[in-house]
Amino acid sequence: MTKNILAVAFLAVAFASCSNDDDITPAEPLLTETVSNLYAPQTGGQGEPVGGEFTKFDFETGAETTSDTDWDIAFRGTTIAVNGGVATGTTDEPTRNGDVSAAIVTGTFTSVTSAADLTFSQDSETSFAIPTGSDNGWYNYNSESFTVTAIPGKVFVFKTTEGNYAKVEFISYYQDAPAVPDPFADATPYYTFNYVYNQNEGDTSLE
Amino acid sequence: MRYKFVPYLLLITYQLTLAQSQVESSKDSILSQQLDEVIVTATRTERQLSSLPLPVTLVGKKQIIKSGTVRLNEILNEQTGIITVADESGFQGVQIQGIASDYILILIDGVPLVGRSAGNFDLSRLTVGNIKQIEVVKGPASSLYGSEALGGVINIITGKPQTEALSGNASYRIGSFTQQDINLDLKQAFKKFRYGFFANRFSSNGYDLNEDVEGQTVNPFTNYTLNGRLYYDFNDKLSLFTSARFYDQNQDAGFTLDSIQYTGDTKEREWNTHARLDHKWTPNLTMAYELYYTNYMATELLADPISTDVLSDSDFNQKLFRPEVRGSYTFASKNENNTGLQNGTLTAGMGLQLDELDRTYFDETVNFTSQYLYAQYDFNPIEKLNIIAGARFDNHSEYNNQFSPKLALRHQLNNNLSIKGSVGYGFKAPDFRQLYFDFTNSAVGYTVLGYNVALDKLQELVEQEQILSVLVTEDELNKPLEAESSIGYNLGFNLKHGRGNTEVNFFRNDFKNLIDTRIIARKINGQNVFSYMNFDEIYTTGFEINSSFKLTDELNISAGYQLLYAFDKQKKQDVADNQVFVRDAESGQSVALAQSDYFGLVNRSRHNANFKVYYDIPNTSTNVNMRILYRSKYAQYDTNGNDLIDNYDTSFIDGFVTVNAAISKIFYKNLTLQVGANNLLDYTDNNIPTMPGIQGYLKLNYQF
Repeated sequence: MTKNILAVAFLAVAFASCSNDDDITPAEPLLTETVSNLYAPQTGGQGEPVGGEFTKFDFETGAETTSDTDWDIAFRGTTIAVNGGVATGTTDEPTRNGDVSAAIVTGTFTSVTSAADLTFSQDSETSFAIPTGSDNGWYNYNSESFTVTAIPGKVFVFKTTEGNYAKVEFISYYQDAPAVPDPFADATPYYTFNYVYNQNEGDTSLE
Repeated sequence: MRYKFVPYLLLITYQLTLAQSQVESSKDSILSQQLDEVIVTATRTERQLSSLPLPVTLVGKKQIIKSGTVRLNEILNEQTGIITVADESGFQGVQIQGIASDYILILIDGVPLVGRSAGNFDLSRLTVGNIKQIEVVKGPASSLYGSEALGGVINIITGKPQTEALSGNASYRIGSFTQQDINLDLKQAFKKFRYGFFANRFSSNGYDLNEDVEGQTVNPFTNYTLNGRLYYDFNDKLSLFTSARFYDQNQDAGFTLDSIQYTGDTKEREWNTHARLDHKWTPNLTMAYELYYTNYMATELLADPISTDVLSDSDFNQKLFRPEVRGSYTFASKNENNTGLQNGTLTAGMGLQLDELDRTYFDETVNFTSQYLYAQYDFNPIEKLNIIAGARFDNHSEYNNQFSPKLALRHQLNNNLSIKGSVGYGFKAPDFRQLYFDFTNSAVGYTVLGYNVALDKLQELVEQEQILSVLVTEDELNKPLEAESSIGYNLGFNLKHGRGNTEVNFFRNDFKNLIDTRIIARKINGQNVFSYMNFDEIYTTGFEINSSFKLTDELNISAGYQLLYAFDKQKKQDVADNQVFVRDAESGQSVALAQSDYFGLVNRSRHNANFKVYYDIPNTSTNVNMRILYRSKYAQYDTNGNDLIDNYDTSFIDGFVTVNAAISKIFYKNLTLQVGANNLLDYTDNNIPTMPGIQGYLKLNYQF
């Protein structure tokens, strides 16, 4: 897994979004980053029972983690779990001990400017906060080209274990994120996604 | 069907039609649709092509023979605005005015053919060897034909024997890919009794477009068509027509999965039996009593040749039985021009249709019954203005009753110019698959349920603890599925100019309640349960222009063009509202899709054009012809996850040209040698499996 810091300084934005007049401590800047090739394999599939450990990710560190508590979201195949809510019943899922929740917004990445007024949900016995299956959550599976494509215009806003907000746009499910993946040649599941992380706890601003 | 009636009866019965025929008899031309040609599909009475208020394409036997085509899809594909294309299921069907094969009714001598693969009717099932003419009426025709006639009706007409001497032909043709076509056609007419017998054998070794993929693109196949027809004239008022048709095809099948080569075959078999009694009660009243039965079967068996493990074993068995009575009465109050409301032809009919289908992925054999009633009035309120108004009522066991009206007008402005316009309603009943399917993909794990069985099957899955969550309410699944429907508008004119003729037709078809799949539940395995529902609204619009010129008595040229826009209304609105996105190729970030980048529906080309030259070389009994067909780019499926076709999708097939040519020479009066080639430019695309490269052929025909 590689991690690129694309741009860091968004000070002005952070000020603009602070509505509290008594907020006098200088706000930490928003972090805008890209995660490339986060590998999240699963066992089974193709009609066989699905299993295997989830690959966990922590926004605070911006890195993959094996911690059982300090993680926000976790990946296995096309399934994404959040560290909040209750077990969904799938095998080998991580124990949820945080209060992470997710909201799905339709729009461009930059158009999502705030986490305020969004409807957040958590994993539950009946569904994941990011629903599984083609066209339900973050991806579309095309049965003619056999390709998994991150649905364009879907932005995922998370409230992390520490109570910070982050927005995520998934880019690709294929290794090195080719613009036009070849499902027979390009390896999966390698997540590439962009995210913006607000380092100020509880601050809903995302621009 | 009155087209079988002997001509002198027609003169009496259809005075109306003939009264307005100021058409000069055109010479034997195959491209300018002979203006005095008679067709039956548009009105269910014999009508002169030139007098009809509807857009019609007529393909005669001469054009079929000279162009050297052997299957119906080939000759129709050469007509303006008629395209054969495979859809996402991989099966090929025909598209008219941008409307998919599901919504086009195929008839043979006026009775419907059944047996579709994922909605597509495979026109290559039909040989053109014994066809007298092909009539294509564009636009909705449900007012006469009921379900499926939204985009148009294709009616294949076989000829009635006319001569007392035994006549017919025998032919043999061999071409690339060892394609062989053998025909025998026999006809004879005695005083009261006539018969026709036709046999065809068609085979090919198939071809391979992509050597990287194991197996052939098209596997070897052989098929047989047999057709026997008997005619008996009891007296000058009562005549009987009977026809039996049999089709049988066997094709090798193969499939490689996990490096096991499964082999087997697919079989198709079809029966059509058709009997009709035509009764002329008085010169003004004729009736027809018709019985029709058809059965279409398809089976596929694939197994591992070594372990004999069966990979796939599917069968499909559809039956249709349809009795119908209809009649035509001509009111004639003998005024000068036969004009006015009181002078017209009333055509009315009623019938019963019993459908049955037994297939793999159905729990049990399912049946539909429907009763229908239709009427149409065809009259000239004033001289040179023809109006046809009609409607049909269908009562069906599985969906809401349908009322399908239609109105058509034609005005002859002067000797050379006429305008015509029509508006009509078309519908398609939900098909068996949409109602009764119960299919779970064993490899991926998703499930597709027919609408009528969805509730029960979903309950079963819940009991089996396969369901994570149900996304629809019980009420939503209890409301019956509506028939898909459309309203079609056509407006055009016909201009005769010197030795030429030009026809223009503008069309618009608004579809609603299109049935599509949606997710009704999520499964524990992460996959979805799909069922069908009414939700899509689409439109197709554009125009068609056809011009033909008879430059000399020997030289005919024609050109045709269709412009087409076909869009989903909801998606068009979503794009306008900036709710549809594409991923920027460089940054990977989503950007809103511009309206100009929404390309429209799959498999639709914006432009279609053709240019044809037929030349009879004087004094040599030789005909040469060339047909050039162009189709602009079209997309096969969405590739970038936004569920519509936009200019950034990568599944486009670029525009292409095909050139077909043939030359035939008659020796010793009755022996014809034909040499030809289809796809002379050798255009191929791995994504168009139905089109091999250049195909040459040689045909010998003996006419007697």
